[in-house]
Amino acid sequence: MEQLSLLDLNKRIKDCLKHNLDDSYWVISEIGEMRFNQKGHCYLELVEKRDDEILAKNKATIWSYTYRNLSGWFESLTGQTLKPGLKILSNVVVSHHEVYGLSLNIKDIDASYTLGERAKKRLEILNRLKEDGISDMNKDILLPLVPQRIAIIASSTSAGYLDFITQLEHNTAGYAFRISHFEAIMQGSEAEESIIKAILDVNTHVEQYDLLVIIRGGGATLDLECFDTYGLASHIAQFPIPVITGIGHERDETIADIVANTSLKTPTAVAEFLISGIKEFEESIDSLFAEIHDYVKNTLKEHQTRIEYLSKHIKYISENTLKSNSAKLSVIRKGIQSAAIGRKKILETLVHNYIQSIKLNTNRYLELKNKDLRNISESIGLLDPKNVLKRGYSIVRLRNKIIKSARDLKEGDLIESEFKDGRKSSKILN
Amino acid sequence: MAKNDLSYQKAMDELEAIVKKIEQNEPDVDELNDMVIRAVELVKYCKTKLKTTQEQINNNLEELD
Repeated sequence: MEQLSLLDLNKRIKDCLKHNLDDSYWVISEIGEMRFNQKGHCYLELVEKRDDEILAKNKATIWSYTYRNLSGWFESLTGQTLKPGLKILSNVVVSHHEVYGLSLNIKDIDASYTLGERAKKRLEILNRLKEDGISDMNKDILLPLVPQRIAIIASSTSAGYLDFITQLEHNTAGYAFRISHFEAIMQGSEAEESIIKAILDVNTHVEQYDLLVIIRGGGATLDLECFDTYGLASHIAQFPIPVITGIGHERDETIADIVANTSLKTPTAVAEFLISGIKEFEESIDSLFAEIHDYVKNTLKEHQTRIEYLSKHIKYISENTLKSNSAKLSVIRKGIQSAAIGRKKILETLVHNYIQSIKLNTNRYLELKNKDLRNISESIGLLDPKNVLKRGYSIVRLRNKIIKSARDLKEGDLIESEFKDGRKSSKILN
Repeated sequence: MAKNDLSYQKAMDELEAIVKKIEQNEPDVDELNDMVIRAVELVKYCKTKLKTTQEQINNNLEELD
């Protein structure tokens, strides 16, 4: 029976491995434990699990020089630090050391694998939130018009928190904010639990706040894993008032960002958002007021114009009515005048005719009378005894008495006959 | 209508009614006189109301500035 020293055995194992294995392998595993020595070498445990059962486990190392290059590059690509629990695809060289035994020396890590894993995990969480019907709950809450009572979950020592507070408290517009701070650990393995606890604390007096701000700012660390968990996301999603995140990262959103009402890149952006929201409100009030002002001015002007018009119009139409009345009056007056003149003329003619007629009749009458008079005069002249005597007649008197009949005389009477030129006496014979 | 019951709108309505009446009904001179007297009263009322409203609004606006 061959007897080997332990060293020999280990050398054989080493040789065997060297001859039978490739130079390196790409291996999928999860980082179990992780620690560093003083020189900066990284000592890990790589495991493969099914649920919680460990199926395989190996020691592994990343030498400090490699680690410095790898970790920085890995973080910049994935936004995550290398740490326990992380699933990685690593290029390993299998080595065996006589004292330290089998170990996998990590030469390279494929960040895209971890990114894919992370994306897969995120998708699972997002789907679960959707299935639970809560993924859009916080998004569906309307942001208050003027949020001034702010609950903020942050680490009080972080630069982001201090920036945020300073910015809100010294905003140039002078808007007042009442900020209530809830302390939480914002990174590392305790972060999720700490943030959830703070969220529950805010919730006990949630009626005192308009919204909840979760910020994590400053520092170069890119450890955002706690913001990609179902636990935190479900608390944020179901929170009764709007949640605004300012987690401070440049890469794609975390799940906390996705379910939050509003997500912004940095704490400063959150502060700006709050201030500009209020400013916008104030401006809208100002512009509404200006509109009211204009409206009032225009309305008053319109009414003034209307009143001016009405008073002028009333003046115009009443003057017109008066004019038309007076025109009617003047027509009537003229009518009366012309009627009167006509009548007067008729009357004048009548009078004239009367006068003429009277004149004519009077003349005729007078003429007639004259004639009569003349006739009478003539008649009177004819009858005058003298005239009769002239015509040959004579008057016979008997004792101065005019004798008109022969019978009044008897024989022997002495009578006196009067002639035109004297008297003669005579004696009756028979 | 008593002056106390008058409002700007009522006054305006009455004014418009007076215009319509004068335009359409051909009032006699006595009626016209009464209407014009009333119209002048209403116009005065409306003008005063507008002026005081303007002043009040200006005062209120000044308070805000």
